[in-house]
Amino acid sequence: MSVSAGEVRVFAQYADDVVETAEVVVVGSGPGGAIVAKELAERGRDVVLLEEGPPFSLDDLEIDPALSMSRTMRESGLRATRGSVMPTMQAICLGGGSLVNSAICVRAPDFVLDEWCERYGLTKTTRADLDPHYSAVGRFLGIAPTPDEVQGRRNLLFRQGCDALGYSSEPISRNVRGCRGSGECFTGCRARAKQSMDISAVPAAVRAGCRVLTSARVERVTGSADRAEGVRGSIVEPFTGRVAGRFEVHARRVVLAAGCMATPVLLEKSGGLANRSRQVGRNLRFHPGVAIVAGFDEHVDPHFGATQGYQSLQFLRDGYKLEGLWAPAAVLAVRTRGFGHVLKERLAQLPHSAVWDAIGSCNRSIGEVRVRRRGLDPKLLWRLHPADVPILARALYTLSEIAFAAGAHSVVTGVPGVPTEFHSLDDAQVLRNRSFRPSDFQTGGNHAFCTTRMHGDRERGVVDEFGRCHDVANLYIADTGVFPQCPSVNPMWTGMALAHRTAGLIAESL
Amino acid sequence: MCAGLVALLAARRVWVGYPPPPAHVRVLGRREFGFLTAAADTVFPPGGAISASGSDAEVAERTDVWIGEVAPFLRVLMRLLFFLVEHATLFFPAPGRRGFRRFSSLDAAQREAVMSGWAESSLGPRRLVFESLRAVLTMSYLSDPAVLRELGVAPRDIEPGYCEADLLFPPIGHGPDAIRIEPEDLRDVEAPATLACDAPLDPRYAAPRA
Repeated sequence: MSVSAGEVRVFAQYADDVVETAEVVVVGSGPGGAIVAKELAERGRDVVLLEEGPPFSLDDLEIDPALSMSRTMRESGLRATRGSVMPTMQAICLGGGSLVNSAICVRAPDFVLDEWCERYGLTKTTRADLDPHYSAVGRFLGIAPTPDEVQGRRNLLFRQGCDALGYSSEPISRNVRGCRGSGECFTGCRARAKQSMDISAVPAAVRAGCRVLTSARVERVTGSADRAEGVRGSIVEPFTGRVAGRFEVHARRVVLAAGCMATPVLLEKSGGLANRSRQVGRNLRFHPGVAIVAGFDEHVDPHFGATQGYQSLQFLRDGYKLEGLWAPAAVLAVRTRGFGHVLKERLAQLPHSAVWDAIGSCNRSIGEVRVRRRGLDPKLLWRLHPADVPILARALYTLSEIAFAAGAHSVVTGVPGVPTEFHSLDDAQVLRNRSFRPSDFQTGGNHAFCTTRMHGDRERGVVDEFGRCHDVANLYIADTGVFPQCPSVNPMWTGMALAHRTAGLIAESL
Repeated sequence: MCAGLVALLAARRVWVGYPPPPAHVRVLGRREFGFLTAAADTVFPPGGAISASGSDAEVAERTDVWIGEVAPFLRVLMRLLFFLVEHATLFFPAPGRRGFRRFSSLDAAQREAVMSGWAESSLGPRRLVFESLRAVLTMSYLSDPAVLRELGVAPRDIEPGYCEADLLFPPIGHGPDAIRIEPEDLRDVEAPATLACDAPLDPRYAAPRA
């Protein structure tokens, strides 16, 4: 039974194998793919959107973090890099990472775009080129600064510390409407305030006639080395991955937006497609994240307020960005050191604690996405480069500085070899004075980029700056894999702006 | 004969003497359940700053539910982790008398010493083993409603904000017939009502332990 225009098909509905024909097939419903599908559908194009994961109804959102991660994340949320062992999470659900991220939207700074243009032979990726696309996406998703009413004490203390030191800070702009400050972004917004793609761009695309196949795992791009003809794969049961059928979509244009880990695997599994440059899967970069827990005398109630409501962009050129943070207590506690009564005492301080994090623009730390012989899960090789280590140490020092300026009585960094708790800024000087090894830092890497990077020179990049593959004329990539370097800020808005531009190009080409 | 006796003794130390787990435990075997209970009570002993012990918080039971949901190869890795820590003391004994026993058979002081050995080892991989085990136990411990209530971080009750998408997506495992939301259930989410710190708890986290 073929899928009707404007239909969302879920696993329970697949009775037979599915064969569809469309003008455009989009693989992946995260921020990149959903925006492409919406834009093309609204321009009257015939679009099929494919997503391996299921849509999550309100009944399906699980508050328990372990179970939530098992259900919404690839490899049950326990994926990690090899080399420097770093957890990294990629979502498997309608809406992709937007369902479980904290909705941060920041435009890539001018110096980043200038560097991209200068180093990667790009001529149409300047601030002036991208701003209209940022704005269009921003209007659609209601991207706006977080109001004070939902900041919560944790974020306001961050602002207070920055103000005391004269550091710039600002409320984080987010794709939310009617946020209540429940701090539950990472397990899916039960208030439906976060405008994740599953409740924003996907319904808009459906309204415009887009056909959506969920539980559809793409395993191969079909066609020749020069021309894509569509995709094919398996219908898979949510959570178990049990194969229940096959599908095939024939299309004039193929857009891969499966994420910077999955897209290169898919290209490789499709016979090394689009890889004359030998750059597919290479150049993997992250924004490694580090965090502090600042202890205060007052009750901070850190689980109230926007998950991430305040940020400082002052140190972007030094390689790091600072943010307020909340995650489920169980996730934060994983990084708390010690065990026994000592651990319990530390956990008991949680209501008096504020957690703040920093993401490092570690462009020298480069890895690779490799294909496993069996399955589609990637093998991730990545090492934190020793030259990038001081960025993280400086970031932790600055966070400590802000904490003490805001009135904290203690700061925990989780770095081995330094005092477990700093009680003054003098204690924190060790972060500036000591030299650290990469293994000294417990990092998390949830922003990942560059594995199908754009480059003006077809010998040195996989796609051009519009997301069009150099080697395959009707194949496009619309995820963060196309970034040529770390964007230095949270990548979602930039990814969506580039996808918005790619959609326009595809529409014109049809 | 002598070798046979030694093998029998060794096998007894590895396999025998675990109490059966509760009937509702679905995935973990009795040995794994026994180990997790012992490890949870070492990482989260009774009393102190948070009243619940690992056993009180049903860490092993919660881990059973979690491990039932993770990808099969990760399940294998987690089980290997439990096996490793449970049996390492058969080769590297715990301090004190009768240290050559599996972890769950040691007394509380010995378990604590063994756990310290893993945690403070100069070898990175040994510390990684400890951190991985502690991560599993901590995730489960802090899933316990009573612990979250005691810490004051239990999730609050949130009025669902039905939106257009809720008319499209049935609960996972069901077809569109299972969609119960009607267009009149949709509400305007533009007007935020900030969640108060004293808002009622989510019903799943509000009930006191029986």
